[in-house]
Amino acid sequence: MVNVTVDPLTRIEGHQRISTEVGADGFITDAQSSSLIFRGFERILQNQDPRDAAFLTQRICGVCPLSHGLASTNALDNLYGVAESVPKDALMMRNIFQGLNMVASHATHIYVLFGPDLANPAYKKVLTTLGDTGNAVWKEMVGRFAPISYKMDGVAVPVGSSYLAAIPEKKRLQEAIALIAGRMPGPSSLYPGGYTYPATVADITKLSSYYLQVMDFVSKHTLKVDFNTWIENTYKASSPQKAVSFVTEHLTDLINKSTSSNDFSKDAGWGDVEFYAAFGSELVGEKILGLPASLKHDTIGGYKDPSKICFVAYGGYYKYKDGYDPKSPAGDRIFTSGVVSGKLEYQKFDPEKITESTAHSFYQNSVNDLAPAKGETVPLTDPSKIVYTGGSNSQYSWDKAPRYDGIAGEVGPLARMLNIKEPLVTGLAQAFNEKGYSAANVYTRMLARMQETAILAYELLNWVTVDYNPNGKISVPIDLNAAKNNSGMGLWEAPRGALGHWVSAGSDGKVTNYQCIVPGSWLMSPRDSKGIPGPLEQSLIGSKINPVGDVDYTNPVGIFHMGRSYDPCISCAVHTIDLTGKNAPNTLRIL
Amino acid sequence: MSTGIKNLVRTLDSVDFLKMDRRTFMKALGAMGAATFLGTYKSEIVSALEFAETKLVWLHGSECTGCSESVLNAGNPDLVQALQKLNVNLAFHETLCAQQGIWNDGKLVNTSELNSEILLEDLYKEGKYFLVVEGSIPNGPDGSGRYLVIGNKTFKESLGEAAKNAIAVIAVGACACWGGITSADSEVAKDTDYRGVAFAKEDSSKGMLKELGIDKPVINIPGCPAHPDWVLLTLGAVILGKIKLEDIPSVVDDYGRPMVFFPPDHTVHENCPRRGYYDRGEFDTEVGGEKCLWKLGCKAPYSHADCGIRRWNGSVSMCTQAGGPCIACVEPGFPDSSRPLYVEREDVGIAGTNIDTVAKVAVGAAAVAAGVHAVRRMGKGE
Repeated sequence: MVNVTVDPLTRIEGHQRISTEVGADGFITDAQSSSLIFRGFERILQNQDPRDAAFLTQRICGVCPLSHGLASTNALDNLYGVAESVPKDALMMRNIFQGLNMVASHATHIYVLFGPDLANPAYKKVLTTLGDTGNAVWKEMVGRFAPISYKMDGVAVPVGSSYLAAIPEKKRLQEAIALIAGRMPGPSSLYPGGYTYPATVADITKLSSYYLQVMDFVSKHTLKVDFNTWIENTYKASSPQKAVSFVTEHLTDLINKSTSSNDFSKDAGWGDVEFYAAFGSELVGEKILGLPASLKHDTIGGYKDPSKICFVAYGGYYKYKDGYDPKSPAGDRIFTSGVVSGKLEYQKFDPEKITESTAHSFYQNSVNDLAPAKGETVPLTDPSKIVYTGGSNSQYSWDKAPRYDGIAGEVGPLARMLNIKEPLVTGLAQAFNEKGYSAANVYTRMLARMQETAILAYELLNWVTVDYNPNGKISVPIDLNAAKNNSGMGLWEAPRGALGHWVSAGSDGKVTNYQCIVPGSWLMSPRDSKGIPGPLEQSLIGSKINPVGDVDYTNPVGIFHMGRSYDPCISCAVHTIDLTGKNAPNTLRIL
Repeated sequence: MSTGIKNLVRTLDSVDFLKMDRRTFMKALGAMGAATFLGTYKSEIVSALEFAETKLVWLHGSECTGCSESVLNAGNPDLVQALQKLNVNLAFHETLCAQQGIWNDGKLVNTSELNSEILLEDLYKEGKYFLVVEGSIPNGPDGSGRYLVIGNKTFKESLGEAAKNAIAVIAVGACACWGGITSADSEVAKDTDYRGVAFAKEDSSKGMLKELGIDKPVINIPGCPAHPDWVLLTLGAVILGKIKLEDIPSVVDDYGRPMVFFPPDHTVHENCPRRGYYDRGEFDTEVGGEKCLWKLGCKAPYSHADCGIRRWNGSVSMCTQAGGPCIACVEPGFPDSSRPLYVEREDVGIAGTNIDTVAKVAVGAAAVAAGVHAVRRMGKGE
């Protein structure tokens, strides 16, 4: 038994530690996920003008500031009683800039944060023993995904072609957001009742031009099959089986073309999506396509007990109509709210079923497992008690443990794609389930993120060029008095998953309580009061630290993949809130 | 700096950049975007640095990664190209580099090619690097620094190790400069006790380096986030030796900000795209309009930065252009000095002056130039 710890887990947002116990066979038997930082964030909103929240909560995260801004603005729309009357064109502006941010965030994750692990020397060891095919595959992996300042065996490795090309695309997407939101990160255009800037006809033309440039990157690097063909046969497919067959047939064609030449290059039709779709999975690559090797990412990061996990989505992206329902009932938004069980059964989402535990977090509570709006949290202030090495029964994280109906919830692209019954991702999840694999694993999580990126690109064009009317109304005035003794809830989808903001105001209209439950809290959470591990911990336990090749405790590439496949955002996950305000000066509320 | 920018750029096009005196150089930085600067002088830069490689170590404290995101948004050149043009080795950056901390039974394993903690130890030993810090540093609880522990070390401790052996420190973003949003007034502030590298809010006696007893030159590049041009051009100037360590005090203001980007005598207000409305006394009172945002709480007249000229993300826009008030995120008191964000500053604390009346009258050139400052002085009876 070896204790294998990754601290810090870099190439994520924030600071995270993963500690595992690993047997001689390389399988993880125990794991703790620890968030290493305490910022005291939401406390600064206390006794302040509620409108400041949409600006200041964006500073929770510089990668997805818009999501916090929007969750906050939704809570404020609700607080000021204007959610039902926000003009439809303002809602389209919000959709457009959130859509662009989500695409940029996913591109950053795929290429800058997750991708570099595909150039890990562990794969070189395995692939280069497989003759010409293995060598060709390794050459492609390192040639596409090597990060900046990378060295292997003392030799500098050039930056990967896809990595290098993705950076200007990400920049271009941020520029498109800035065009309608002032700047990025930290845009200035969100306000309850609407939006501060009506995009002009000229802006729309520019947005379309950004779109075309980004699609050029997609066709050169990401997806070599025609984009519309892909969407028609996956997102728009008539059944999950048809979507999966379309993809496997497309990949089979590519394999047939590449068998003799061992040419897996982009020129030969292997976009990054095709490449990962074929080689990432044992079930697809080796068993269906007959490839000589795969990265076996479908064998790591799955859930061993489907009764202890579910997939939660709050719902995101407004439909083109005036106003919206702040409670986000099923069907009210383009990405619907919902909950899918570990056995892939569908339920309606009910925010009342959320509780939070601090049993294994650095807090000292009198009561546990309360609904977030009634939660109680008192942090440890004795420095000697803030230790991360006490094991699964100790307090070991600044993260709290949100639970849905008593069990852990995965949020994010996979949860969203399952909840909207997106054919390709649903089909893959069902196929894995039927063959005895976990429906959720590193591979399905990454493919869901790629597929969501494509779907958003498709929807964005519609919002920009069809729905949005540049002469439409952009805001309705708010009455500041409406906030007095009122409260609001903002449910939204950040790139990393379900994001909720809750605000209450007192008789002076100032904030008495501000609270966020963020994707990182759901995903990276420690154990709860019943000892149930969070999603990342569940996915680590029972997975192998090296999905392929020999066990190497000093290069646990499987842990890197599992941790990063959730696209962790630790700054989001750890922040304080205060429910009781000035009456309880030593009581902090931390998520 | 609000006039003659274009002419200056044209003049500079034909000048040998490396032979420029410091004053002209600093002017050029202010006038040119990172793209122009690094693009035009690529060959000179490379030949000047010939084979010399400058190392950057970029540490993240308590932050949101917004400043790294912002630097990744650097225009043409992008970050990778800029590093190549400046012949810079980004030796460590937590969000971009391949390494992570790997421990077996509590001991560091593998090599610096995969293990960030070994790499950093090696880099600190070798020295001769510029240290970039993003994010603030918790001093709490009780001076322990344990509200942020990375790789079994408090960030307070890591910063000390890294700074001790650095040539100089560049603090990027409001958090690293003054504590930023993590040090905003609240009931937890006394426990977390967040600090910037050289300042705690406006107070230079409480900067983390002073707390640690380390004396190193620090340049502050504030903003929430920092503009990529401010970061890349400052790095360019430092790496080229155009800002020598002994020169730093003469090119920065009282808060350690390069005056070329954060001019003491210039505010965002002066080049705001909505300035014309202000001069005519036309103000928006609801969002979504096109007029001056003063009544919606805009703090541009108190914000010392060149956003109005430079603008953001490929110069396509800026906060006020998109209808949001300036929140003065480059100022050392941010965010406390900017709150409430949507309320006029005069209504918040300074003795009441009717800005409507004054601004409507203020159409004469002199009065317009004096702007809000004049209004404030009049309000105080000066």
